[in-house]
Amino acid sequence: MKIYVSGLYAGGNPQPGVGIVRSLRQGYPDATIVGVEYSNRVSGIHFDELDELWIQRPWGELDLDAYGDKVCEALDAGGLWISGSDLEAMWLASVFPDGHPNLLAPPMSGIKRITKPVVEAASSLPIKIPTYLSTEHSDWDLHAFCREHNWRVWLKGPYYDASRTPTWDTFTAVRNALSKVWSTEKLFLQAHVSGYEESVMLSAYRGELLGAVSMRKRDITPEGKTWAGDVSEVPLAFMEPLRQMVRDTNWTGGGELEMVRDGSDQLWLIEMNPRFPAWVHGSTIAGHNLPALLVQAASGVVAKTVPAEASEFTRIVLEVPVRPDYPLPPLPEPFAGAVGHSMKHPSGLTALAARLHKIDPDMLDVAMAPDGTEPPNGLAELPDTFVADIGRQDFDAMQTPQYIYMESTAESLFKRADDRAHRLSTNDVEVISGYSIKTNPDKRLIKLALDHGFYAEAISLGEVQSALEVGFRPDQVILNGPGKWWPEGLMPRETMHAVFCDSIADLDRVVAAVAAGEMSAKHIGIRIRTPNITSRFGIPLDSPTTFAKLIAAVKRLPTDSAFGVHFHMASSHVGVAQWWHLFESMLRWCQSIEKLSGRTIEMLDMGGGWYPDDWHEDQISKIARAVERVRTMLPAVRQIASEPGKAMAQPSMALAMRILEIQEHEDDYVEAVVDASIAEIPMHFWQPHRMVRKCSETGELQPIGRGKTHLMGRLCMEHDIIASNVQLPEGTRAGDLLIFCDAGGYDRSMSYVFGRG
Amino acid sequence: MYLAEDKAKASTVQPADGHCADTVDLMTAATAPGGKWQTFPNSHISHHGAACCDIAHEWLIAFDYAQLNGGDVLTGPRWMREHSKWGPTAWPIHWCEAVDADVVDCGVHAAIAQEAFVARGVPAFRAQFIQRYSADATASWRENWDKESVSDHWIDGDAIYHEGNAVLVGTDEVKLWDGSAGWWINPRGEMGYGSLAAVRIEADLEGFEDGLRWGERRIKLNQWVAV
Ligand SMILES: [Zn+2]
Ligand SMILES: [Zn+2]
Repeated sequence: MKIYVSGLYAGGNPQPGVGIVRSLRQGYPDATIVGVEYSNRVSGIHFDELDELWIQRPWGELDLDAYGDKVCEALDAGGLWISGSDLEAMWLASVFPDGHPNLLAPPMSGIKRITKPVVEAASSLPIKIPTYLSTEHSDWDLHAFCREHNWRVWLKGPYYDASRTPTWDTFTAVRNALSKVWSTEKLFLQAHVSGYEESVMLSAYRGELLGAVSMRKRDITPEGKTWAGDVSEVPLAFMEPLRQMVRDTNWTGGGELEMVRDGSDQLWLIEMNPRFPAWVHGSTIAGHNLPALLVQAASGVVAKTVPAEASEFTRIVLEVPVRPDYPLPPLPEPFAGAVGHSMKHPSGLTALAARLHKIDPDMLDVAMAPDGTEPPNGLAELPDTFVADIGRQDFDAMQTPQYIYMESTAESLFKRADDRAHRLSTNDVEVISGYSIKTNPDKRLIKLALDHGFYAEAISLGEVQSALEVGFRPDQVILNGPGKWWPEGLMPRETMHAVFCDSIADLDRVVAAVAAGEMSAKHIGIRIRTPNITSRFGIPLDSPTTFAKLIAAVKRLPTDSAFGVHFHMASSHVGVAQWWHLFESMLRWCQSIEKLSGRTIEMLDMGGGWYPDDWHEDQISKIARAVERVRTMLPAVRQIASEPGKAMAQPSMALAMRILEIQEHEDDYVEAVVDASIAEIPMHFWQPHRMVRKCSETGELQPIGRGKTHLMGRLCMEHDIIASNVQLPEGTRAGDLLIFCDAGGYDRSMSYVFGRG
Repeated sequence: MYLAEDKAKASTVQPADGHCADTVDLMTAATAPGGKWQTFPNSHISHHGAACCDIAHEWLIAFDYAQLNGGDVLTGPRWMREHSKWGPTAWPIHWCEAVDADVVDCGVHAAIAQEAFVARGVPAFRAQFIQRYSADATASWRENWDKESVSDHWIDGDAIYHEGNAVLVGTDEVKLWDGSAGWWINPRGEMGYGSLAAVRIEADLEGFEDGLRWGERRIKLNQWVAV
């Protein structure tokens, strides 16, 4: 009996080949086992249980047709073939669409039904699939997905790459890298599930389940790969649907379902692999030799059984002698001055991926929506008020770059906030909004805030002055932040609405100033810093000692002012779901502060940091639920303030720019220089902007999609690339006008004058 | 861990704690599954009856909730192990000392975890363990405890007495939390180094007359059960 086994890479993220060979050797001591590889740098080829080697040139070099014929000959001659690589299994499935009795790998129809992320074949198993979104959606929607899942998300390709993308800039960088490596734009984002990793491995022949085991990871490598585990029987409730799944897919060969078990015992499917896992011999050690069962089913030759040695296994690293006929190739010289050598998979699997795309463009697609559903077009929709506000501009007379004030957009946003505050207010608890001046100190926006019943939230006395100049009264001002005494000598003597202390030192200074009659406020309170959120602001709560100091400080606050607590968490940063937990957590700290200090909280200021869409489109309203929670947990609260700065300002301005030049390079790669720069749009790394081109002939606004154009700013700065991977509409030329929306928040307030002469 | 002598001291300091004050005979022969710890009580943190302990206790509950980070309430309070390392504790200890200490023993970890679970609304019980180790391991611990002049009565030959929590995850199913290790004890019941030899779950019998299910086993309550 001759058995070909591939996937012999045995590094830190090993393939299963060596484990399959060890297991087969136990079941069939006399079999001839042939190791198949595509590089002489793969260390597993030196494993001494291999009787023969069949080393091919790397995937990028191989003549796939000729090689396919050779594999066919080997199978026809009675050889059995167990593939240890996903991509090789896919290629084999393309060579043998109807299978081959000696090919112990799944048919193409089966592989297509386990495509990530839906893994349609596993739908009857008692497992869930973590939420996902195709990257074919617009950047605007992808950013929303990340916020919704607290930035605990993975960007995945259709095969085995996955990267955590905790920020927008990481996301865009990883998207570029993964698309390049796997020759596809079709990636997907998936929500992270926290828990314990476990797997089910199966072995099947022509739709009949031969065996399956369950394994919990008990030690993992830094990449999360199995290093040790325990093996047990698959529970009946899983086994029966698994048997049905094998039948439905007419599965042949090994397979693995990788899962996570969360705190409430729910299993989540991360992916299914069309091959045995690398820990396959761990199962054999535990008495379940699944590769031998597979060979037994295909050959009819009964495998030798070996009793279980243990129910747990671990890995060790071994040095083995190198075969003299495959001496180690030299290590390529590092590039001059470069650090380290390439440790990429030596057989060039990514080259195989590129070639599989050519054989069948759909073969390696990720599976997103059921067939027949229209794929997303990657374009963000432009709100009607954006179109109206842009339409009102006289661009011919406009010097660019130029911020455009989006008048009707701004008005509608402030009006909605005003209406909502009224709707949420009751006789007992008033809900108010404070306009956070720092987000955009444009007088027009401050005036809108005044006209719509907002308070003015200032972090410096300069900001207080701006508010007063526009018409706010001192008792409509909330003073906050670490620099509230700057610049000196401007502190209003009139009673302000609220003052929040950012540190114990700040609090002592405020207490002294109030006692000396130098300042006055209806509410005086503290800003607290929640544990678990990295922040430089507020009084920390991270140890009982600092908590005790805070309690003592609260007791020093003047008793003729009402007591308030301020906290701030940017929902755009921590994500919407985590925001909700933090809010709840905050109310608990407030309850403790009330109980220990003897002061009841009358004003609660929930800070800002909302992404515009999360604030405005959240109609079931987190804010409404929040108000309800405050009422039950802190019954003395009379006023709840929130500070939607970014949510008001960001959509309220756009940036108009003109294209200075366009350069086309190879492979559709285009570089366009514009007259704007990161000096006008400094947030471009951290958030997407909805972009349009104004057609010079028709005047129509054309959304800018994703492509291979890089928009470079006018500055002589290496990182002045204001948008990567965009697709300019057909016919775009130098002199054309581009408009970046969503630029009215920190883009505006943090813009600078570099390069303006 | 609670020392018999310390416990007597503690109960005079803080009689309101109401914890049993029966004397513990450390010399009892190891005939029952509990060995010399057959009637040993769970560790109990004292309260000064003053603001210091109130603040510490409030902080603990609010901090535990903050650390949940939106995760499931059945997630173990893993932060405790980061907040205070496992090591010798001199008993009695009060809330203000226990919550602030850099090094505490399993009795403190278990008592704190118990407060945290209950405050989250998760039914949890105190649990006592006897674990198998090796002569070398226990000798090393004996030395460390002696260095701090803290009693090493929790060591007996190759076995040690240890404390944790039993957390209710179904109608009558528990998971066992070892707060000092920061993990859930594996119910597969392996023998050998670090394995569980016996467990005692202290709980009100009502509704649990048949004990609690842990993995494949059923654990009768308030008595040592060999594993
Ligand atoms: Zn105390
Ligand atoms: Zn212990």
